Amino acid sequence: MKKLITYTLLILCSLLFIAPLFWAVTTALKSQQELYLFPPKWIPSVWKFSNFAEAWNIQPFNMFLKNTVLVTAFSTLGQLISCTLVAYGFARFHFKGRDFLFLVVLATMMIPWEVTMIPQYMEFNYLGWINTLKPLIVPSWFGSAYYIFLLRQFILTLPRELDEAATIDGASKVTVLLRIIVPLMGPSLILVAVFQIMSCWNDYLGPLIFLNDQTKYTLTLGLSQFKGMYGVDMQSIMAITCLISIPPLAIFFFAQRYIVGGIATTGIKG
Amino acid sequence: MKKRISLIVLATTMMVSVLSACGGKDGSTGTASQESGGTNQKTLRFATWDTGDALKIEQDIAKKFESDHPGTKVQVEAYADGFDQKLAAGFGAANPPDVMYMWDFPTYHQSLEPLDSFADKDKDLNIDDFYKGLFNYGKIDGKLYGIPAGFTTRVVYYNKKLFDAAGIPYPKDGWTWSEFQEISQKLTDKSKKQYGFGARAENDTYDLQGFVWSNGSSFISPDGKTIEGYMNSKETAESIQMFGDMVKNGSAVLTGGKGQQSGDDIFKAGKIAMWESGIWPLESFKQAGIDVGTVEIPAFTGKPVKGVLAESALSIAKDSKQKDLAWEFVKYYVSNESIKMRVADLPVRQSVVNELKKDQDPLYKPYYTMLERSDNTPAFLLNPKWNEVNRQLSAAVEAVMHGGNAQEVLNQAVKDSERYLK
Amino acid sequence: MAQTYLQNTREQTAALKALKKRRWGGAALYLFIFPWVFGFIVFTLGPLLFSLIISFFDWPIVGKVTFIGLDNYVEMFTDDPMFWKSLFVTLKFAVLFVPLNIVVALGLAMLLNQKVRGSAIFRTAFYLPSVISGVALAMIWSWVYSGDYGILNYFLSIFGIQGPDWLNDTKWSLVAMVVASLWGQGSMMLIFLAGLKGIPRDLYESASIDGAGKIRQFFSVTIPMITPTILFNLITSIIAAFQQLTLALLLTGGGPLKSTYFYAMYMYENAFKYFKMGYSAANAWFMFLIVLTLTFLVFKSSEAWVFYEGEMKKNPQKKLKARKGGQTP
Repeated sequence: MKKLITYTLLILCSLLFIAPLFWAVTTALKSQQELYLFPPKWIPSVWKFSNFAEAWNIQPFNMFLKNTVLVTAFSTLGQLISCTLVAYGFARFHFKGRDFLFLVVLATMMIPWEVTMIPQYMEFNYLGWINTLKPLIVPSWFGSAYYIFLLRQFILTLPRELDEAATIDGASKVTVLLRIIVPLMGPSLILVAVFQIMSCWNDYLGPLIFLNDQTKYTLTLGLSQFKGMYGVDMQSIMAITCLISIPPLAIFFFAQRYIVGGIATTGIKG
Repeated sequence: MKKRISLIVLATTMMVSVLSACGGKDGSTGTASQESGGTNQKTLRFATWDTGDALKIEQDIAKKFESDHPGTKVQVEAYADGFDQKLAAGFGAANPPDVMYMWDFPTYHQSLEPLDSFADKDKDLNIDDFYKGLFNYGKIDGKLYGIPAGFTTRVVYYNKKLFDAAGIPYPKDGWTWSEFQEISQKLTDKSKKQYGFGARAENDTYDLQGFVWSNGSSFISPDGKTIEGYMNSKETAESIQMFGDMVKNGSAVLTGGKGQQSGDDIFKAGKIAMWESGIWPLESFKQAGIDVGTVEIPAFTGKPVKGVLAESALSIAKDSKQKDLAWEFVKYYVSNESIKMRVADLPVRQSVVNELKKDQDPLYKPYYTMLERSDNTPAFLLNPKWNEVNRQLSAAVEAVMHGGNAQEVLNQAVKDSERYLK
Repeated sequence: MAQTYLQNTREQTAALKALKKRRWGGAALYLFIFPWVFGFIVFTLGPLLFSLIISFFDWPIVGKVTFIGLDNYVEMFTDDPMFWKSLFVTLKFAVLFVPLNIVVALGLAMLLNQKVRGSAIFRTAFYLPSVISGVALAMIWSWVYSGDYGILNYFLSIFGIQGPDWLNDTKWSLVAMVVASLWGQGSMMLIFLAGLKGIPRDLYESASIDGAGKIRQFFSVTIPMITPTILFNLITSIIAAFQQLTLALLLTGGGPLKSTYFYAMYMYENAFKYFKMGYSAANAWFMFLIVLTLTFLVFKSSEAWVFYEGEMKKNPQKKLKARKGGQTP
């Protein structure tokens, strides 16, 4: 009985999350004439799979894909390395002003990007980085508050005795981090990677501001090319959305078991 | 200690490798691209807000220009919806595109290159061939900042099928707003969720000016100094109240704001019989299989119809380092050859229109009759602080659509705006 | 190294305390947090200070720049009804959104934490909206919420309910935005799920031996054990609520009648619609201070209610309370 309720709830919630997306898929597949019918037609009478190829080929989406993969891969790598270091620093060191400094980290999360955008643009312009992928990658190598916070919270839940035992055995801080903390952090690192991949993959404002030339565009910029000042090509937007959602979704599907399964099994045995 | 250092070395090495990986090949074509390349190739940056098919055409025009001008690369930068934001960043950092689409001259003109000297010197431009009045939209304080590239006037679209089904004759030029309201009432069938007209919840006040002018009023005095008695005149209030009333009595449906299901979409669904707009959605109406007709904007009984013109022009940035090349591109862009390629907006040259017989086509004719009626100067060209006033006005108009009393909210808007005009 | 002669535990602890003072606070720390410090200075502090400077100027993006001292701030507080309006809208949104967001995310996470078949599928389904890019999301929601032609009202009409025109009705628009925002909170749910999975099973076992029912267990085991996660989600939720922009920008444009005109959008429009960079920077600094204060308060209060396993030495009595079952590492 209890199981039944659980399943019912799970399925109902899933429907809530999936139904609108189901519409996105069918919209992409409909013919122009069926697009705006009301009451809505859930199942298109003709499945126009060619819509996908058409939308993809209107603009050089292969190139956009390449750029996006490049940005996503390198910035994710950067976040993982830098945030682990910084989070460890904040979680395991006591020093004067630590809480203050950490508050500064948190504070950077609260800065609306619109505010620093123009100065940042000027800075990158000065460095000659505008219209390159660098502004989208390099800052990731210096940590981001959200992930630092996330990882710090995780490291704080690890028993301190682990570090201390290792320290007594003569291990340096770096060794403690690499040998003891990082292996236990597996799930949360995957979590960070997943989040960073998602946000990078879907980032719109950054690429919009920093890239000019179409050969540098990312997928979301390509997607926004269907939404002009005077009209929206809804069908192409839905088609491209469906296509570009597949890689992050696949990544999530394979990563989720490590995120949620991992902590319990690697266990904090103490 | 050694390990610490090695970790830092490791991190640094990775950093550097990343930088070179993404910078190496891409970096060389960065911002300074104007002078880059060993073969003396010049890159001209051209920013557009267009998307989809219109963008494709613009890219083709750029390619043609490239083949006519060896050694030049035209980099078409499609900013789409983010146009203003992109320009803001570009101008803010003194790194704007060389040539760009432009309509909001009061806001941007200080960063744009005055084009009078170019236009005067260059006989090839053939200014007389342009429709009269188009050039006025690109002028601030007597200086020309933009060359007209395309325009549209506004018309009423109607769904022939819905008219036929109700046995109502198609509207004809010279019809009045009371006829319009009557038809709208007849074509509304709530049980089918069908409405005679779609009223925008958030109007661009710019577009409303046509109605206000038609009723013999305007938002601001001709000298641009007074709004009291203009923005809140009886006639202005009347022309806006009309739409609010139609929403209230159910003969018009309120169509969504910015990102919502727009009137365009509902018209495509065949659920509204009449819709007022520029030329932009025409192509998509046809594609959606709607048998669509166009007719000029109705008149207030006994008063002449006035129209409002939406113009897009090309401008050159003040900071551009290759203005002559930019001018060449602008000139090519408004030449007969490329105007013919651009089918998404209306040709700005009379010779092209005559050649293509566009104004003979019943579907296109109303745009041209409306053009003849578009000789008033829009408010934003009359007062540099119009943006601020418009904020109040837009809020007032929106309030009317949600049931407010036009006269009252406009009076309030005038009161709230006065301080910007001092 | 120094540790080799440390033989018995008592000595160890004493020495460790000394070590902590000497080494854990030493230069090593800076090596770890260096990347952030460097990035902070170059990519954040610099631009941030610049924006602070801008806020004392009349700084149109195009045109002349003039120093005007505190005028931007004065105007904001005394002469701009939109400032107060948008601030109020944002506060209203935050009050609705933050608690709901946490409850919904935790609820979904607990649902997913059940032992069921196909949990991978369910998790992916719940996370699905978070993968969709903003442009498409807004379109999907406009289709859901449309008054006459929307799918939500279509469903309601099946049950004989006449739904409102959600996004064009000032009574419902903000609620509609809250719901739409909740829909995309897959990441928060995921963080909760990870937190829940991290609770050792034996805590529940010993709790149930002590006779605690499901509800008691939830409050005496689950909640205390995930307080670090709650703290994280609480703070990021507050920040998200104050920065809510994309959806408003793409879906309602702040309307109807400014009922969804968020502070972030007000700021955005001042910058990119009205090109008043200086004024917008002043807006931003004010918001920054508000959120900073809120976060600081939450962060300070967390010492009273957040329980870190790794830090439990500092709070022995809390450790006892949470580990009532007597399980020790």
